[in-house]
Amino acid sequence: MLKNRVLVSTLSVIAFLAAWEIAPRAGLVDALYTSQPSRVIVTGVEIIRTREFLHDVYVSLSEFAIGFALAIGIGVPLGLLLGRFAVLRHLLDPPIMAIYATPHLALLPIIIVWLGIGMASKVAVVFVGAAIPILVNSMAGVRGVERSWLLAARSFCAAERQVFLKVIFPASLPSVILGIRLGLSRGVLGVVVGEMYQSQAGVGNKIMRYGSEFRTDHLLFYVFLVSLFGFTAASSVRALEEKLWTTAK
Amino acid sequence: MDNGKMKGTKPVLLGIASFAAILLVWETMVRLGWVSPFFTSQPSAVALSLSRAARSGELWHNFAVSLREFAIGYGASVVVGILAGALAGRFRIVEYALDPFLWFLYSAPLIAFYPIFVLWFGLGAPTVIAITFLFSVTQIAVNTLRGIQNVDRRLLRAARSFGATERDLLWKVILPASVPMVVAGLRLGVGRALMGVVVGELFGATAGLGHSISYYGALLKTTDMIASLVVVIVVGVLCTQGLSAVEARFDSWRT
Repeated sequence: MLKNRVLVSTLSVIAFLAAWEIAPRAGLVDALYTSQPSRVIVTGVEIIRTREFLHDVYVSLSEFAIGFALAIGIGVPLGLLLGRFAVLRHLLDPPIMAIYATPHLALLPIIIVWLGIGMASKVAVVFVGAAIPILVNSMAGVRGVERSWLLAARSFCAAERQVFLKVIFPASLPSVILGIRLGLSRGVLGVVVGEMYQSQAGVGNKIMRYGSEFRTDHLLFYVFLVSLFGFTAASSVRALEEKLWTTAK
Repeated sequence: MDNGKMKGTKPVLLGIASFAAILLVWETMVRLGWVSPFFTSQPSAVALSLSRAARSGELWHNFAVSLREFAIGYGASVVVGILAGALAGRFRIVEYALDPFLWFLYSAPLIAFYPIFVLWFGLGAPTVIAITFLFSVTQIAVNTLRGIQNVDRRLLRAARSFGATERDLLWKVILPASVPMVVAGLRLGVGRALMGVVVGELFGATAGLGHSISYYGALLKTTDMIASLVVVIVVGVLCTQGLSAVEARFDSWRT
């Protein structure tokens, strides 16, 4: 069955690539609009060799890494606290939910006004995008902890601190990781959109520039690069998640 | 875990209090000159700007433009997403063939296609609609697929052993059993479609709520920008709340 899946998936991707390659050659579509797989690959090899490429990747990756690290560093503890203390939660939940329900990228223009067009504004966009799902899921994780475990821990005279560290935190970990995975894709989207909107360097900056220059092959190379990054990052967190679930059981 | 569930209206009151506190702090900080209204504006000015935009008709125009883009893009993604998801859920080979593309669309920052769409469709509504469609269609397709795949095997076997035909199975077992999952996909799809409309409009639109945020932002007219942002937030909250209510109904219908 597995073999069959791989075979069918591969065939369908090959068919797509073949159609994409042949259609412009046959004159069905204009290669200016669609480019071709062969051209994208050739262009990609050229781009990778340039110094500018390394610089762009460095800028985008550091914006993402800083913003995402901040989102985890603030989102997880705050989420655990809100899950633990109901008054705090009722106080902060409505504004958090309002931001969660909003397309958070609508905040982009005002973040640019506040932080300028440099790296700081992208870090902030990644942070806002990723922190909310991380916070919400950490909160839900704490609230979902089996009550009987808490009762058991308390009846064996565990201190509040022990209850938190030894029961609540480990039990809510799978939910925290889920939040991190959800935050990840929002973070990647944030970097790209932020850089496309206003920036001086970075992968999103290049996407916008090549797009407006109609250089479709350059554009598509960067698109695939970002997709590959998003896919790899999401898959690795998912693998971690599955491992945690199996050890939790 | 939630010991001492707060009774009655207390959570609601606390929620209202927190919004009121935010507005109050915001207004006083500006009034006292601690922060510059150039950066943060102030609630009273935003309210004025909103009422002016509402009276001049600008607000309704932008709202109508965004709503139309949303309706077309999301509508198309519901039809295509459910159809593709249902086919993939029913036929293994379709699932395997679509799988790599769904994965790609799911993990790609789709907005990166925006410059290509501008090439294809031109600046304005069609591009925004295309982005809205792409943002929401994968979510709906994947949820429909999972919904159909996760139908309880025992239900299927039971129906078959009582002589149900394939058509009966589809209409009387598979579809009803997968509805909650599909509805969840539709709800998540709405959120992503809203994001698509706003982001699409931020870049290359000529009207709409996202466009006016971006437009006033570029002019550094913070008050008008925040006014449009408030409208987007309110629309987002109303959509999410409404859909959660709808979903709760469908969920109870299953059991």
